[in-house]
Amino acid sequence: MIDTQLSVDVLQDDTRLPKVPEPGAMVIFGASGDLTARKLVPALYDLVARRRLPMEFVVVGVSRTQMSHDEFRKKLRKALDGQRPGGVSDDVWDSFCGNVFYLSGDTNKAETYEELKGFLKKLDGERGTQGNRAFYLASSPTLFPSIVEKLGEAGMNRGENGGWARLVLEKPFGRDLASARELNIDIRRYFEETQIYRIDHYLGKETVQNIMALRFSNSIFEPIWSQHYVDHVQITVAEELGVGARAGFYEEAGALRDIVQNHLMQVLCLTAMEPPVAFDAGDVREEKVKVLKAARRIPEDEVENFAVRGQYTRGWVWGEEVPGYREEKNIAPDSTTDTFVALKLFIDNWRWAGVPFYVRTGKRLPKRVTEIAIQFKPTPHAPFAGAGNLEPNVLVVRVQPEEGVSLKIGAKVPGSGFEIRSVNMDLLYGTAFLEEVPDAYQRLLLDLMLGDPTLFIRADETEGAWDVLDPVIRFWAESKEVSFYPAGSWGPEEAEELLMRDGRKWRRP
Amino acid sequence: MSVAQIERELARLRMNEDGSLGARASVLNLIVVTSEESAPEVARVVSELSGDYPSRAILMISDPDEGEANLEIGLSAFCGVRHGMPGGAGNQVCAEQITVHAEGTPAEHLESLAGPLLIPDLPVFLWYPDGDVPGSPECDGMAALADRLILDSGAAGDCEASLRVIANLMEHDEVPAVGDLQWAALSPWRSLVADLFAPPERAGELTKIRRVEILHDTAGECQALLLAGWLSGALGWRPEPADRAAEGRVFRFDGPSGKITVELYHDVPETALRRVRLYSEELSFQVSRYGEHTDARSTVMRGEELLGERTVHLGSSGVGVLLGEELKFLKRDVTYESALERLVEMLES
Repeated sequence: MIDTQLSVDVLQDDTRLPKVPEPGAMVIFGASGDLTARKLVPALYDLVARRRLPMEFVVVGVSRTQMSHDEFRKKLRKALDGQRPGGVSDDVWDSFCGNVFYLSGDTNKAETYEELKGFLKKLDGERGTQGNRAFYLASSPTLFPSIVEKLGEAGMNRGENGGWARLVLEKPFGRDLASARELNIDIRRYFEETQIYRIDHYLGKETVQNIMALRFSNSIFEPIWSQHYVDHVQITVAEELGVGARAGFYEEAGALRDIVQNHLMQVLCLTAMEPPVAFDAGDVREEKVKVLKAARRIPEDEVENFAVRGQYTRGWVWGEEVPGYREEKNIAPDSTTDTFVALKLFIDNWRWAGVPFYVRTGKRLPKRVTEIAIQFKPTPHAPFAGAGNLEPNVLVVRVQPEEGVSLKIGAKVPGSGFEIRSVNMDLLYGTAFLEEVPDAYQRLLLDLMLGDPTLFIRADETEGAWDVLDPVIRFWAESKEVSFYPAGSWGPEEAEELLMRDGRKWRRP
Repeated sequence: MSVAQIERELARLRMNEDGSLGARASVLNLIVVTSEESAPEVARVVSELSGDYPSRAILMISDPDEGEANLEIGLSAFCGVRHGMPGGAGNQVCAEQITVHAEGTPAEHLESLAGPLLIPDLPVFLWYPDGDVPGSPECDGMAALADRLILDSGAAGDCEASLRVIANLMEHDEVPAVGDLQWAALSPWRSLVADLFAPPERAGELTKIRRVEILHDTAGECQALLLAGWLSGALGWRPEPADRAAEGRVFRFDGPSGKITVELYHDVPETALRRVRLYSEELSFQVSRYGEHTDARSTVMRGEELLGERTVHLGSSGVGVLLGEELKFLKRDVTYESALERLVEMLES
């Protein structure tokens, strides 16, 4: 029997029905930019079409560009049509875009926030958004502190009438440890950590989440996932593309800041972390932070022994001759920006003591691939005389493009002797579910509206990752040396030497 | 053909031109019990499904009335390249289909044929696409093989009778978890109706509902009935004697704060469910098909004033899609079971 005064919707109490967030408004700062049209709005449109967002959900874009609501809507529609010609339903779009608004204003001025506050209040009344707001900072990172301060001063760091306020930040979260700390302090002056959602879209990828599924839902891997059995780990995040239109940003950032600090360190954490007690924001992020705490800091005077900085020169990628980095548009002809990074890291804890983690990332490598290779120790003794060189087992977790697990095992070659050959056993677990994988932003925006920060980055994670990389950043800032590699190769010679010194070599992914 | 020969032949079917084997990714076993006439269509649905739920599908076509015992076995593999991946033999993934045509006495013991062909350690779904419902679990060994039974209360024509039989079947402890394609088709509607009351200030309206109208065609009758059962059970409406009018049916309830009627009306064909309207004292809530019937529009009104609206995709209600939905679940669907139980109570009032 139900209560005569219901305050919750009992009809939603069914695991088969999707969990729909509370009503709310998403305010996007920097709304006239690329991210809004290319990623955020398509993801929101899909969420609306798939019945994952409530009827009382509105989007308010804020940017300096002068535009009417309608001009903003038309611009977004055009971008969406460009992405999926003929794939947008007019009825669904019309219903969605009726809840999309635009305010032009200078984010440095307090008036903009007063106007925004009034507008959101009006929407609370007209559209039932209940005083809940998510502020998405898709603007230039240099504006983050000022926007946060102005939001705070306008009292928008708290939702209206008991509603919630959440703040979403896009990477980069600072340029180094000091600036990341400063940014975190600035933000936390107005927002609690529980209100802050730092986005690394890698964590929204199904395949990245599958690393945790593989490790923590299969008991056969966990016992061997340690220094007792693992010789070393290689993590590769390779891109075949060059710097493209991001020259200005990239010249300042480089691969270390653009990929290693966030994506690569996240993959490292998921690979090395202890099993969390529960898959929730507190437990998962706590375990990741422990990995970063245990990561050995590279002494500044030994950076050359642990880190390689590379830059691509002219070469051939997939049958096409491509220019070198210094030849690209808007790149300084004497730039020492890293387009390739290889690092040798150690996680100094009980599980991983003495096991090197070799990580690398680069642009203009032969192909786009993200993988984690766990190389196991060789067998302690080979009983088969004349069996040839027994190769150690390698477990490869491929994150993209073809998700799966492959295990290299030794098998007997049929015949009278006892010759052993390595066989790759491919477990294409990604192919077990061929459903269209939702875009990473869809997952993350839905989690944001549901108030689940598990797949977002906590302040101590960003600071921990910067702390590990800071000595390298400082050393490279001083040194002018950079190793070159031709586009279409797997990086500079020095990266090979980094492993050769340890008697190992990089895998060819 | 022995079981070993079947396995060997299936492996051969997965072989690429260069002699390498296409990977077999399997997440479940699907046994389908169907008739000669429906078999081609069922085989098509199952093969299309292999993309999303790679499985070993075993199609059992039985004809126990045929005098002479006869057994024919057909094998096929559906191999496809995973979307978004560069082509190449290594990326090929295959699902398998075994068709068993049994006549005479073997057709009376289908479990002895299906059992040995199952892939070990994977869940077994048993689907009756033609509206048949295994009469009693004792005499149908097939149910013992299955983790989940998938039925279609709408396939046999007499919806009310089918729903009663399913409800009766679920009373047996030995029957595995039951799914119903009509319930799967109802999911988007239930979700849309539930969402209307999600804002806390509207949740209170649920106790003030006085009247519900459901517009449906013949194909949507089971869904309309299940929707009424679901609302009644979830909202604590006690059934009172029902009416049956020429143009439809009226259920009456005694709710926590008053009397409620749920009216089912027949609509033009080809829409299954067309519209659900719920009236509280002040507001009206509506979910209706929109556009080319592939979208749904939800509205909340106070009199003539529109308080809120949205249009979303309703999704496909093709058999393959609905079956896919049911294959996602392994456990008992307690919401379905209680909706069905309540519906039977309503029908008997």
